[in-house]
Amino acid sequence: MDTSSFGEFIRSYFLWRDPMIVGAVSGAICGFLGVYVVLRRIVFVGAMLSQVSSFGVALAFYLQGFSALSLFQSLIDPFALSLVMTGAAALFFALNREFFRISQEGVIGFGYLLASGIVVIIADRITHEAHDIADILFGSAVVVDPKEVYIVPAVAIVAILIHWIFFKDFIFVSFDPETARLFKYPVRILNTVLLLTVGVVIAVTTRALGALPVFALVVLPALTALFLTEKLNWVFVLAVLIGILSAVLGYYFSFILSLPTGASITTSASLFFLLGVIWQQGRLLSRSKFG
Amino acid sequence: MDSSFLIKLEDVVIGYDKRGLLDSIDLSIQNGQFWGIVGPNGGGKTTLLKTILGLMPPVKGKVQYGKNHPLIFGYVPQRENFDHIFPISVAEFVAMGKYIRIPVGRGIKKEDWKIVTECLEKVEIPHLRNRLFRSLSGGEKQRTLLAHALAGGPDILILDEPTASMDIKGETAIMELIGKIKERDNLTVLMVSHFLNIVARFADHVVMIDKDDEFFSSGTIEEVFSGETLSRVFGLNVTVEQVTDKIRIYAEARGSDKKT
Repeated sequence: MDTSSFGEFIRSYFLWRDPMIVGAVSGAICGFLGVYVVLRRIVFVGAMLSQVSSFGVALAFYLQGFSALSLFQSLIDPFALSLVMTGAAALFFALNREFFRISQEGVIGFGYLLASGIVVIIADRITHEAHDIADILFGSAVVVDPKEVYIVPAVAIVAILIHWIFFKDFIFVSFDPETARLFKYPVRILNTVLLLTVGVVIAVTTRALGALPVFALVVLPALTALFLTEKLNWVFVLAVLIGILSAVLGYYFSFILSLPTGASITTSASLFFLLGVIWQQGRLLSRSKFG
Repeated sequence: MDSSFLIKLEDVVIGYDKRGLLDSIDLSIQNGQFWGIVGPNGGGKTTLLKTILGLMPPVKGKVQYGKNHPLIFGYVPQRENFDHIFPISVAEFVAMGKYIRIPVGRGIKKEDWKIVTECLEKVEIPHLRNRLFRSLSGGEKQRTLLAHALAGGPDILILDEPTASMDIKGETAIMELIGKIKERDNLTVLMVSHFLNIVARFADHVVMIDKDDEFFSSGTIEEVFSGETLSRVFGLNVTVEQVTDKIRIYAEARGSDKKT
């Protein structure tokens, strides 16, 4: 490693401190929640929700351009609108199976495509904010909004608290919903709360990092952790650690190599995934060789 | 009110989406009995079981539970019901059976893990506690499921095809173990099975159900398992023979004379 680059990086502490904090916290909480997303085989829910979140932000930018809505300017906040829309999408997904009975894949595909299509249309209409929209989609922002340094950790703490209390129950309804129903567990409520925490976390982290890196942080650390360990509690611990490392290393390389931040985080998470695959293949090989 | 029963269905219509599958079912299950539920595929066994368990409301009538209400059900689902992506250990899986007595929001305590150990000993697999559930053989999985069902201290054990895709050795071992636990803990057992001879050997009562033929019969094994009714329900030539104190069932295809 080039020591002068590293020294320069350390000296520029004031520049990367906030994005690094937001990135690391986002990596931790997305890594944690991603374990449920992967185990429940709803990986593309992460993609759909982060895209819906982007749609909320883009819609807010668009609505802010209408003078007729000037009275509601404070209400048309990109963060608030993206939170409401992502929450609504998560709620719809959680309740779909019982009320609408559309296939999960159908809901995910529809939600993702509709949100993506509208974001592109809006980006075409509001050329002056097109750069902001590109940041939201691909996470190329190097700096973060100062309030996100507080919002992202606060949301992460609330999510972790909920998951701390209901950890056993979320695992139970994810693994064996039939028995959970028989035991009179509130399966529908638990599923809804679980997906809402995923939705809210994706909404706030997408606003801070961008849709692409958030999708990567939801999916790849959890998948990597499943390669590395066969103990459920350790899967959560490792997914959090890999999420943090992916975000931190992504920011570091983005800083010293002048790479787009979101793409750099996504690539870091992908490299951890590849290392996980190699580790698992090596373990399988040694098992087959040595019994 | 007659309170000697554990579960009672009186003039109950089972079905889903407000559509009745089978009219007017009467059934009374007493404490300590071993019931089999048999019938052809798609005959309504699962719907009946879910109605009894309270997972599916009856279209008409009411399922009554006896003085032990609320009943604690120990449910042994089919082994294929679980997604192998979950890295759940045998001990963690058995602990989930205890959740019926652990409220939402409360974690697992030390005494719950003690019960897990006891249940693993009851089903003779304490050595497998740290193994992954997905890595077990069919017989080991079935024992784990049984320990899971026992962990909640059930009044009634519900078994869904406990011997499906097992060889004769595994089948005999698991059924003898179930019989032993039933006697020792004075449990009531309700078992859905396709294996008529297993039901005839281990159960003392049986429900035979076929919604397509609008057939429902319940009673002791000897009352329900006659060559005539079995032939009608399964569309085969069935003979029933008494061997010592149990009956044996033999079936042969009717060729073109199949039930329609």
